[in-house]
Amino acid sequence: MSAQTNMRPYWLSAPALLLYVGMFLIPMVMTLLLSFYSYDMTAGVVPGFSLANYAEVLGDSYFHKIFLRTLWMSVLVTFFCVLLGAPEAYILHRMSSPWKSICMLAILGPLLVSVVVRTLGWAILIGSKGIINETLMAIGIIDTPIKLMFTTTGVVIALIHVLIPFMVLSVWASLQKLDPKVESAGESLGASPFTVMRRIVIPQIMPGILSGSMIVFALTASAFATPSILGGRRLKVVATTVYDEFLGTLNWPLGAAIAVLLLVANILIITSYNKFIERKYAQAFK
Amino acid sequence: MSFLRLDGLVKKFGDFTAVERIDLDVEKGEFISLLGPSGCGKTTTLQMIAGFVDPTEGRIFINDVDVTRVKPSKRNLGIVFQSYALFHHMTVADNVAFGLEMRNIPKQERDERVRETLELVHLDQFSHRYPRELSGGQQQRVALARALVIRPEVLLLDEPLSALDAKIREDMQIELRAIQRKLGTTTILVTHDQSEAMAMSDRIAVMHEGRLAQVDRPYEAYERPSDSFVTKFLGKSNMFDGTGKGSSDGLGAIDVAGVEFLVRDVDIENGALVHVSVRPEKIRLIEAGKGRIDGTVTAQIFLGDQWVFQIETSLGAFDVVTQNTGGHQVGEGTTVGLDWSPEEVRVLARAVAK
Repeated sequence: MSAQTNMRPYWLSAPALLLYVGMFLIPMVMTLLLSFYSYDMTAGVVPGFSLANYAEVLGDSYFHKIFLRTLWMSVLVTFFCVLLGAPEAYILHRMSSPWKSICMLAILGPLLVSVVVRTLGWAILIGSKGIINETLMAIGIIDTPIKLMFTTTGVVIALIHVLIPFMVLSVWASLQKLDPKVESAGESLGASPFTVMRRIVIPQIMPGILSGSMIVFALTASAFATPSILGGRRLKVVATTVYDEFLGTLNWPLGAAIAVLLLVANILIITSYNKFIERKYAQAFK
Repeated sequence: MSFLRLDGLVKKFGDFTAVERIDLDVEKGEFISLLGPSGCGKTTTLQMIAGFVDPTEGRIFINDVDVTRVKPSKRNLGIVFQSYALFHHMTVADNVAFGLEMRNIPKQERDERVRETLELVHLDQFSHRYPRELSGGQQQRVALARALVIRPEVLLLDEPLSALDAKIREDMQIELRAIQRKLGTTTILVTHDQSEAMAMSDRIAVMHEGRLAQVDRPYEAYERPSDSFVTKFLGKSNMFDGTGKGSSDGLGAIDVAGVEFLVRDVDIENGALVHVSVRPEKIRLIEAGKGRIDGTVTAQIFLGDQWVFQIETSLGAFDVVTQNTGGHQVGEGTTVGLDWSPEEVRVLARAVAK
């Protein structure tokens, strides 16, 4: 083989590679570099190399609280997405033809609407003068409105709604690979429907649940629109804090350091979760 | 009293009748095949016995107990599925042990029975492997072991060999039959492959359009088919429409487009509308002019152990099969005589178009 033909794959992948470098790698590296700069009230961003920003974030209980809140929200949203999304996918999988498509559309429909619009919809629903509170008060179940706006509960509910399609889709994909007869086989061997579910179906759709929860976890941890609209300025998460540092206090280096820390935390949590599940359900991944 | 009894089973899906009134008695230890083309209702029948499909009408008895409304998990049947439906996240041993675990059999006895059953299907070396690491034939054995280990009342086999290639399939047929004989488990096999059904079963139940066309021992069904569908489904046949011409001296005569077919020991009414059929292997090729009819060889196919000829005659194309006993060469384009004895001709009533 000549050297010329050997080069061909590289030339062919060059456009995609350039796009990847230009649109993804360069901004990431620049953000990383920015996080080592320092910030001065009068001089603005000063180039240099110091770990001061990281020290500040890691040492300040204010930031600890924001990171912990983000982690807690991500865990809650992921947990409820598994709890609701996996059975939803299973029921959908078992439905017959016309209803299957209709329900699939209903689940995927929200993905076609901007996340901001969907979140504003939730604001209308759960506000203290929102439909839910007005209705509950009118029937006389509650006297004072339930506080959902600007609370973790409200943000979590809205995020579950926004992210559940990702869980349903990935569990659905692994259900497609499951031989429908294994359930009959389990039943014929004397297992109750519950045992069939626990011992046969769930272990085999674990890859779908895993990839679904990784997507949901990562998207919750970096979610911006929903926490900023429903959580407001008081209920800060990491993403909204980064935004405020960049556009509010104009301390770009600190914002960049927080962003880098969020990325690192996300990668660490997701890879260790992945390893744990893969070891536990090794055979389902083959 | 029969061991498994299907009593007037009917299954309708909306307007479509999948199974139309099936009555079948299966003896204890018997191996019976439900045989038919796809869509004949054989799989639906099996599903009803297994309990995955509720019959619209009729009842199912196992050992004199009415199980028609009993859940599949309580019927104690062993089922081997076409796709095997193995649990891919469990080892071979765990797959086989699953049914025993569900029956709360103590671990020690469980292990013992799993080992015995895996030995029976020659998989004792593979108990710690996972199903995906095994070949198709081995997976099939795991599925069989998993169904047999629970000592089922009835073993149901849903086209279990159709995913295997021809050579392994033949070996498995013999082995499956041997295992079934050894354990004496009443077995129902669903298949569309007539040679598989004939090779393995004590009796075959040929199904056609939701009904049982004939239930008989394989030899009887092949030699004495009850109608033209069974004749064609159980093998090749040269079948023609004819008209009766009466009978004398124990020989019935039938006219087929000017050619006379004689039939041994059959009374034929003059003018009766009938089908006559002769199996290809019952026809002898002899010198032209000396047989019952002459024809021209249009194709000859060599299959190793036998020759298959297509011969064009005044009645249409004849299929003829002869054993490759050596030295028998005819050659395409040759005119030959076709001969058969009256004992080999079958006569079936022909439905008259109304």
